[in-house]
Amino acid sequence: MSRNRTSLASVAAAACAGLLTLSACGGGSGFDDGGSSGEGGGDGKITVLIGSSGDAETEAVEKAVADWSQESGTDAEVTVASDLNQQLSQGFASSNPPDVFYMSTDQLGGYVENGSLLAYGDQLSNADDFYPNLRQAFTVDDEFYCAPKDFSTLALWINTEKWEAAGLTDADVPTTWEELADVAATLKQGKQPGLAFSPEYQRVGAFFPQAGGAMTNEQQTEATVDTPENEEALDYVQRLLEDGSAQYSSTLGAGWGGEAFGKELAPMTIEGNWLVGAMQNDFPDVDYTVAELPAGPQGKGTLAFTNCWGIAESSPEQEQAVDLVEKLTSAEDQAAFAQAFGVIPSVESAAAA
Amino acid sequence: MSAGTPTAPRARATGTYVTYAVLVLLAVVYVMPFLIQVATSFKTEADAAANPLSLVPTTATAEAYRTLFVDSPLPTWFANSVIVTLFVTTGRVLFCSMAGYALARVPFRGRALAFAVLVAIMAVPNVVLLIPKFLVINQLAIYDSYAGLIIPLLADASAVFIMKGFFESVPASVEEAARIDGAGTFRIFWSVVLPMARPAVMTVIILSFQASWNELNHFIVASQDPDLFNLTKGVAQLASGALSQGTQYPLKLAAALLMTLPVALVFFVFQKRIVNTTTGAVKE
Amino acid sequence: MARPRSRRGGQTRDGWVLMLPVVVLLGLFLVAPVLMALWVSVSDWRGNGSPFGGDVGFVGLENYRQILAGGGLAERDFGTSLRNNLFYVVLVVPLQTVLALLLAVLVTRRSLRGRGFFRTAFYFPSVTSSVAITVLWLFLFSTSGVVNKILGWVGLNGPAWFQDPRGVLHLLLGAVGVDRAPAALGEHGFLGITWWDWVAGPSVAMSAFVLMAVFTTSGTFMLLFIAALNNIGDEIEEAGLIDGANAWQRFRHVTLPMLRPTLFTVLTLGLIGTWQVFDQIYTGTQGGPAKTTLTPAYLSFQSAFVNQRWGQGAAIAFVLFAIIVVLTLVQRWALSEDRGSRGERARAAAVRAGATARRQGGGVTGGAA
Repeated sequence: MSRNRTSLASVAAAACAGLLTLSACGGGSGFDDGGSSGEGGGDGKITVLIGSSGDAETEAVEKAVADWSQESGTDAEVTVASDLNQQLSQGFASSNPPDVFYMSTDQLGGYVENGSLLAYGDQLSNADDFYPNLRQAFTVDDEFYCAPKDFSTLALWINTEKWEAAGLTDADVPTTWEELADVAATLKQGKQPGLAFSPEYQRVGAFFPQAGGAMTNEQQTEATVDTPENEEALDYVQRLLEDGSAQYSSTLGAGWGGEAFGKELAPMTIEGNWLVGAMQNDFPDVDYTVAELPAGPQGKGTLAFTNCWGIAESSPEQEQAVDLVEKLTSAEDQAAFAQAFGVIPSVESAAAA
Repeated sequence: MSAGTPTAPRARATGTYVTYAVLVLLAVVYVMPFLIQVATSFKTEADAAANPLSLVPTTATAEAYRTLFVDSPLPTWFANSVIVTLFVTTGRVLFCSMAGYALARVPFRGRALAFAVLVAIMAVPNVVLLIPKFLVINQLAIYDSYAGLIIPLLADASAVFIMKGFFESVPASVEEAARIDGAGTFRIFWSVVLPMARPAVMTVIILSFQASWNELNHFIVASQDPDLFNLTKGVAQLASGALSQGTQYPLKLAAALLMTLPVALVFFVFQKRIVNTTTGAVKE
Repeated sequence: MARPRSRRGGQTRDGWVLMLPVVVLLGLFLVAPVLMALWVSVSDWRGNGSPFGGDVGFVGLENYRQILAGGGLAERDFGTSLRNNLFYVVLVVPLQTVLALLLAVLVTRRSLRGRGFFRTAFYFPSVTSSVAITVLWLFLFSTSGVVNKILGWVGLNGPAWFQDPRGVLHLLLGAVGVDRAPAALGEHGFLGITWWDWVAGPSVAMSAFVLMAVFTTSGTFMLLFIAALNNIGDEIEEAGLIDGANAWQRFRHVTLPMLRPTLFTVLTLGLIGTWQVFDQIYTGTQGGPAKTTLTPAYLSFQSAFVNQRWGQGAAIAFVLFAIIVVLTLVQRWALSEDRGSRGERARAAAVRAGATARRQGGGVTGGAA
């Protein structure tokens, strides 16, 4: 069991094979060195507003943007939002939005409807390089609005020490629902569950595709929550919860699954690649390994989470902004981001690299 | 105590004991959370999670405070809170005593109407104004500036009423004497009446200080620049923290404690006055 | 220097000059915003550029229709937020009033030692900011936190407070075996949620906020009651004593009727305050778990600033405003003096008369029945 971060690429492949629901994880920590306010306007300067998961992400984006400034000769400034949603909406409502910004899938609809977003996707020279389903997530009425900046998928995180203490080996890494239920029961100790995850559909929902279900239909035009496949998945999760093999992280007093795992309140959790950074920063002493989520009755599946680079329709520097996004979504830049904060590149050419 | 009979001494003693018992129990309920807060802010995170109730940290650490003062924007937030509070309090005292004096003592045309409008304004709930306040601040081009944080908070109807109530209690003879000496309205207000109004001014200062220090929703809609955050907004976003943050209770409780300190200090220093103010504000 | 002849004109000028700053400020930041919001609530402005731009159209009551009868998510969310806030009000207002009165009565007992300390202890939570208190509450009510530890002493297994979306009334009904909606309740509803969901009660998470509100407001209202009690004075107390009433009867028939105006103030302030829950939600739960702490105030903010539905957000704010005004008027009417029970006041008057008579050597018996 010596998987490391790069093994996530294989998870990514699986994710992209059977994709899924897209949703986003945004938000800043309130502990970043905020730059000065986003001054839009035609001063020939590009403002970039991001919601950062931490210093690693902030520094990586700042470096990439600074490099672009050097090459293009256009000034650009990165601001880390403390509350991305609010700052974006206030920016647009005050006719002073940032030129380039992170945009989540659940925010996209509202901004497309009110005409805030530039549908620049097809102007990119690398437009066809994005995974089709990521592209689909940011396409509204056949308009490709927003280039996916990267994505993350869920995986099974295992606490090495507790794993070995329970007499389990590499061969025991669960690959099916039954095996997952078995190891969770094996790892359970008294009140401590074998598996913990956040109480939200973005975690429980990972079992849907494994059972052949989904939240929406292929075209994402209709909700398909109440299907027998999803019911099967929910029944399975409920069984785990009922016999105490699994518990919600909130029940353990943790804010999210990653925290329950880091504080060793549970030996296994289902989380995304962002947990890498959290483990490094907050729980450096905990040894862990990462595995693909086990396959369900209908095969492998996970959830992918993605954000994109939005460009303001009203930006006076549209051309420059598109140029910047083109660089930020290049295989090269995305590989650097993957290195820095553990996301998976959104372009196929990066996987080949 | 049995009904209908005069209270016997023994029964009364029992009654007193019961009263004390109830009071002490309630006081514990009211005070404990804050004691726990102080203790927890000096704990390690593991200790806070394991022994939330203990009032003595297993290993006392000031790490939370170090993080807040050195690695976080909290000093900036604190400074902004101080700046805004100072300006708002000063402005409110001046403007609201002017208006209060006019309503109490200057028989100007339209006074009844002005008074009625003020009363009506007091009835508008604050939250209704969230969206429109943002729009106005935006239109006035003071969004994301100290002006936008401060100016909208400068006038406050309830402070006007407090000042008005006080000026009405000043004997008219004082002003008459000044008027005979040839002083005009402003002169009388500034040099004669306002100096007499110290107790009411103190009251307005205390209430404005508390109100602007604890204000949150106005600051949410008035700015987005991290350099313009004040304590309420900063700590609120710290509390609703995002990924990779964890619960961090010692840190959050320390931040909450730091923002409580100034109001707590003002409270303890002016305690008598606050209590009298509130009790005096009841118009039967 | 106004000469007597033009005194009146001069006074008018002076008066308005003194009023000017307050008038301008309140006009700019209270009156103008309300008018602007009214426009936004009947427009199709979506938060992109100025709401007064040429491309913004008038849509009449469409935004109001969306939240009150749209049949979609907007209506369901609004119904949910009203339900949550309604239970909050119904719980918080009586609790904070009764507790504040109790504290005031205990603290104003003559011969009480340490009065200052107790008063300070009860009032202190009221001076702290809602943000700071919410942070503290999140800690106290965490799953393995202080409150659950204390519950553990008496063998209770505390819930995961702020993560628990289950309705308290549903839990109680579940305890007696009713765990699904009777057909009549499950099929019909109002504002997009079924009657069964209307009677869910506050969620466990909302209950924690209810406790917080009681904790932070009872001190302020206690002070109001203390003031009133001091005004009533000892005379009445004596009267009751002499007439052989016990403490409870004295309180019930003498003190309480005289507290009516204060009670009225406290209830009004409570009602107005509890319909505007925002800070705690913004800091603590952002409406979760499962939308059970969503309040109209927070929903209004969220609709506009997060979901770009500014018209709906403004409409929600105005509906909330209307609710507050109407309820305040209803309450004013219900508690108004001429509808107060005459018997009560007559009795109190009789007690007063009796006391006076007694002091004058008469033998009238008023008071306790």
